[in-house]
Order: sequence, then structure tokens, then C-alpha cells
Amino acid sequence: MKLVSSKNLSEYFIIVGCGRLGANLANTLSEEGGNVLIIDKNKEAFRKLSPSFGGLSVAGDGTDFDVLQEAQIDKANVLVVVTNNDNVNVMIAQIAREIFKVNRVIARLYDPERECVYREFGIDTICPAILSAKEIDKMLLRTGSTEKLDKTACELKEETK
Amino acid sequence: MKKKVLLVGGRSKSKSLALSLIKRGYQVTAINDIYDDCLKLAEIKKLSVIYGDGSKPFVLEDADAAAYDIVIALTSKDEDNLVVCELCKKRFHIKKTVALVSDPKKTEFFYKMGIDSVVCAISAVTSIIEQQAFVDEMANIVPIGEGRIQIAEVPITGSAPVVGKKIWEIDLPKEVIIGCILRSNTAMIPRGDTRILAGDVLVLISSSGQEIAAVKGLTGR
Repeated sequence: MKLVSSKNLSEYFIIVGCGRLGANLANTLSEEGGNVLIIDKNKEAFRKLSPSFGGLSVAGDGTDFDVLQEAQIDKANVLVVVTNNDNVNVMIAQIAREIFKVNRVIARLYDPERECVYREFGIDTICPAILSAKEIDKMLLRTGSTEKLDKTACELKEETK
Repeated sequence: MKKKVLLVGGRSKSKSLALSLIKRGYQVTAINDIYDDCLKLAEIKKLSVIYGDGSKPFVLEDADAAAYDIVIALTSKDEDNLVVCELCKKRFHIKKTVALVSDPKKTEFFYKMGIDSVVCAISAVTSIIEQQAFVDEMANIVPIGEGRIQIAEVPITGSAPVVGKKIWEIDLPKEVIIGCILRSNTAMIPRGDTRILAGDVLVLISSSGQEIAAVKGLTGR
């Protein structure tokens, strides 16, 4: 995964939510030389970061304007919101976009039905369920026909090689 | 036709609001995602109760949200109230959305997101407490226009510096006017040459923050 290779190295990323996805993303971006700051309510969550993580971490509520200001959100080029609560993600994404005018805002959304709320604000969304469904669909297509569905996973792998 | 109001979340707030709205002839429905609260709410006559998370589009769809005139989001979480109102506005095209917000700093942000009315419980309570501290000078202050304008009743005692003066002789702050004078049993709309007498009650209309200076000037305290 090359995320910042071709971009300006001085890009400043803020990630809100240090779950599996947030921590993983923070590690990767930091490894590739990006400036990363990660926010989470619970400071225990930062244990998920790798020992080589070279960015900053802020323990606090990401919906709080003061916490976002402390994170220097006005200087951020990209903000990624990946907390485990869709409504929190909606609110933080909108605060970033409308109050602090962050250029690029990406939010995770478990429930794709809420997307209409984001659309007009220029917020990019990713929905794990839709991504997984697409990926599974792709795997099925690769096997050629659906009759092979009843074969074991091992056999499928063999065939796709 | 009866106006239809949808209340989302909030236990005791939802209950007392539902009671008062029903009394005033509205048709009220409450959505709540805590089952016990739903049971409590269901004790109210004429109130329809829906068990579910009101920030989920399919729950609002089940409630036939598009048929409502007003939605009021009363949950304890700001983000839920924001999403409820945004969904109601954008997806179900409800004309009036009202949100409760606990963080006073977010009031303006909520307005910016298109919510028609934002009520901040903390600011409201603080201003009531402030008002109580001045209860000697002021009988009553009513905030209107989201608290930007205050209407205050000011009783004028014999010792007040304005007694016997005409209104145009009084030095009032710029954004304050005397809208009405209550004298014994009559209410009069004053003109510049109206004289203030001891025992009058003045009704002040002022922009927020000016009323305390105005009251001090009028009563001399």
C-alpha cells in the first residue's frame, strides 16, 4: 500500500478513531513519511499503534472543537474519521469541512443509507459492507462460474492461480 | 388538520414535552431506543410510541417521518441529534427541525448545518441562574429569538434615578428600548415625552447582554 509516495511529504494527516482501521492507517502513513496525528477518546487505544509509529497522538473527544484545535486541524490537508459510531463520524466530518475548511475529508460509514447526509458537503465516504460485497463478488467472478461455489476455499485458490 | 410532531429520544424531556403538546392539540409520536423508556412513554394517552434508533433512516421510514410538520431531537448525544435532524430535513423534507445540543460551542455549527432551531440546555440554564441573581431588580426576563433579544420587566421604585424624568431625558444603552409602561391597571405605549413615575413597571426590549446595564441605569442599583 503506497499512500503518500507520489505526494508532497509535508502533508499533514489527522485520523480520528484509533481502532484497527485507524491504527493501521496511522502506522502505514507514518512509515511512508507522512505527518500523522491520531485522536482517540481512550488512550489505551494507542497501544494498537506500532512501536515505530512516528506521529503524534491526542487523547480526547474528537467532536470537541478544543481538541480539534489542539490537533491543529486548520493545518491538516486530510482528515480521516474512522470511529466506530456513524453519527460521530458524520458530525466530525461536517465540523472539519464546514468550520475548519479541511480540504479532503474521508469518513467511514457502516450504514450506507446515511450517505445522503454527506453528499452535498463534499465528504468522501467508504462503506465496509459495500466494499466487502464488491470484493466477494469479484472473487466469485474470478472463478468463472457460480457452480464452483460448493468447492472448498483451497480448491478455489488453486484454480485462480 | 392537527399538526404532527415527532419527538426523538430523551426520557423525561420527551415525556413532559409530549404531555404539553398533546394538551395543546398536537398529534405527537415519540421514537425511543430504550425499551423501558418506551414503556413509560406508552402510559401517556394519545401518544404513539415507536421503539428504535431514530438516527437510522429505516426507523424514520417506519414512522412515516415525511408526514410530520416538526421534528424535535432530544437525545443526550449531540451527534445523534444532528443526524436525526439532517436526515429528517434532507431525506424526509420535514419543514421544521429542532435539536437539543449539550455543547454550547456547537450551537452555531448546528445552525450552519441547516437545523431550524437549536436549543442549548446548558446556556438556557446558565442564563436562568444569572437572571435569578438579579431577581431584586427584575421581575422577569423572557429570552426570544434564540436568546438574542430579551424582554424584561423592571419595577421602578421611588428611589430610582429616573423617577419624574421624561423618556428622552434618560440615557439608555443603544440597543434598549422601553416598549411599554405598566401603570396601576393600565398598560401604555410610551412616547419620548412620557414621564416615568414611581411604582411604574417598565417593559424593556433589549439585545442580549445590554439588559443588565440598562436595568442598573434605570433603577440606580
